[in-house]
Amino acid sequence: MDTQTQKTTALVQVTDISKIYNPGENEVRALDHVSLTINEGEFVAIIGQSGSGKSTLMNMLGCLDTPTSGTYMLHGVDVSHMTDDEQSDVRNREIGFIFQGFNLIQSLTAFENVELPLIYRKVPRRQRHQLAKAALEKVGLGKRMDHKPGELSGGQQQRVAIARAIAQAPPILLADEPTGNLDSASSRDIMNVIHSLYEEGRTVIIITHDPGIAAQAKRIITISDGHIIDDKINPSIEE
Amino acid sequence: MEYIKSSWKNITMNKARTVLTMLGIIIGISSVIAILSIGNGLKSDLTGSLDDMVGGAVTININTKKTPKTLKNDDLMVIADAIPIIRGVTPNVTQYGISYYRREMGTRIFGGNTSSACEFDKGFYSGKYYTQDDVDSGNDVCVMSQTSALLIFGSTDVQGLQFELTINETTRILTVVGVVRSDEAELERFREIVKSGDIDYFYADIYVPYSLLSDKYNLGKDEFTSFQIYPMPGQADEAAAKAKTLAENILDLRGQGAVAIQSYASLMEMYANVLDSVTMVIALVAAISLLVGGIGVMNIMTVTVTERTREIGIRKSLGARTSSILFQFLVESSMISLFAGFIGMILGFVFSSVLGKLAEIQAVVHASDVAMVVAISVFVGIFFGIYPARRAATLNPVDALRAE
Repeated sequence: MDTQTQKTTALVQVTDISKIYNPGENEVRALDHVSLTINEGEFVAIIGQSGSGKSTLMNMLGCLDTPTSGTYMLHGVDVSHMTDDEQSDVRNREIGFIFQGFNLIQSLTAFENVELPLIYRKVPRRQRHQLAKAALEKVGLGKRMDHKPGELSGGQQQRVAIARAIAQAPPILLADEPTGNLDSASSRDIMNVIHSLYEEGRTVIIITHDPGIAAQAKRIITISDGHIIDDKINPSIEE
Repeated sequence: MEYIKSSWKNITMNKARTVLTMLGIIIGISSVIAILSIGNGLKSDLTGSLDDMVGGAVTININTKKTPKTLKNDDLMVIADAIPIIRGVTPNVTQYGISYYRREMGTRIFGGNTSSACEFDKGFYSGKYYTQDDVDSGNDVCVMSQTSALLIFGSTDVQGLQFELTINETTRILTVVGVVRSDEAELERFREIVKSGDIDYFYADIYVPYSLLSDKYNLGKDEFTSFQIYPMPGQADEAAAKAKTLAENILDLRGQGAVAIQSYASLMEMYANVLDSVTMVIALVAAISLLVGGIGVMNIMTVTVTERTREIGIRKSLGARTSSILFQFLVESSMISLFAGFIGMILGFVFSSVLGKLAEIQAVVHASDVAMVVAISVFVGIFFGIYPARRAATLNPVDALRAE
């Protein structure tokens, strides 16, 4: 049941990855020989309790951290042994992050926040403005582009973060507890946005501890103590 | 461009802190500018007076430690005749005495021959210089400027008047044969001084035939160890060198270094050198205050980096390279110090012009000074920004994102 047919290309291919903190006597194996394949266009939830290693896995998938051992092929390229700057470029090109705490820069307006990854990609000013505007309009914030994060509600801030994640059209959306800081109405709202992005063909990976959120994904991977203990197609959404 | 914009935002977000950070650099730069422009002003003042002197006198001394030989007035005449680019040669005898005309007045007496008339280029207010006949007979005559006339007589219309001149124990009655024109402003100043009666700190200068001093006052003989030449304009160096060589020949002292030229030019040069070293010392003080200011910038940038760790993490997660973060913080620290540099420069200008007014010096600002200030400010910003910027740039994104 966990064998996906390989008719689509493997976007994420993690092979035998381990991450060990404090090597030596008191070492912590946050990830212990984890292997995982995610194809283009999938909607995956990675669920686990806190301390299960899901955050470490998310850091690995997001190229924010390098594994102690094992390889991570992203789009057929080994990204597990890259330099910091090469990883920065990969993050910029391949991954849109949506964080639990929104992670917007408080001193910048919504528009400027969305612009940031485009600046780092060296998109020309004009095109950059168009892309940032389009992304904000897409999440329904076309009228609040000049507001600073402090002037927006939590749900609106998360929409800005989503706009920032999709502005540069990366193949992967990596969401870490995207609704963790939101009330239930805003949560539904954000999940709807994420759903629509999935429907447009983006690969979405949600890391969560909330079974209710995970249940909205097409595939649910359960992680515990650094091991993947379950990987299944969500039975409740079988089309 | 984006970097400058975002740096500007961060700098202006915490204005009080930024201003305090800039203070050290502002003080450093403003003192550098003030010192430089006042120094330049003084120097151009000096060279200004030097230009006035170029047509003036060059003094040539015989070193009495090396030779007992002296020159006679006739020898000086030989020198004057032999060198065409010399307008005149005169002995150089200075004495101090007391003039008396209704009241006493401290007086400097300069003994010379008729060539010492070259000293005065403003012409005569009345009368004329003493004559060769006066020199030959050692007559009781003198010439003075209008200002000195004011000091002795309280008036400038003194031609033909007589007064008592006492040097040591000897008192004689001198007649004024000529009054030399003085500078109008100077004259006005002395009128005020004489009116206030506050003349104790001044000397009147009078010019007499050297023979009056040597023969009538019995001060020395026709033996001189020092004389002045008046070169043609712009030929001072050449004239002085020729006069020196000729004097050595007359005294038969070739190659012994017993005759030396003492020109105002060399004195001025010495003065300028002293000024240069004073400028250097103060520049050093300014450099130290720049160093302290720079450390202030480093300190505040380190704090900023710590405060903005999360922002750095966010930027990195969005694909900022190490170099982008490094550059961002360097732009910020350079902007702080550049801005401080500009404020310091303006303050320095204000300061130097105020000080210049008080000391009656025209402060001079060179474009090169301004360029230097900009360069120093940017350098300080970059130099002291590198450490905190590197810290920011090499932060691990995972740790940075976790920071509160």
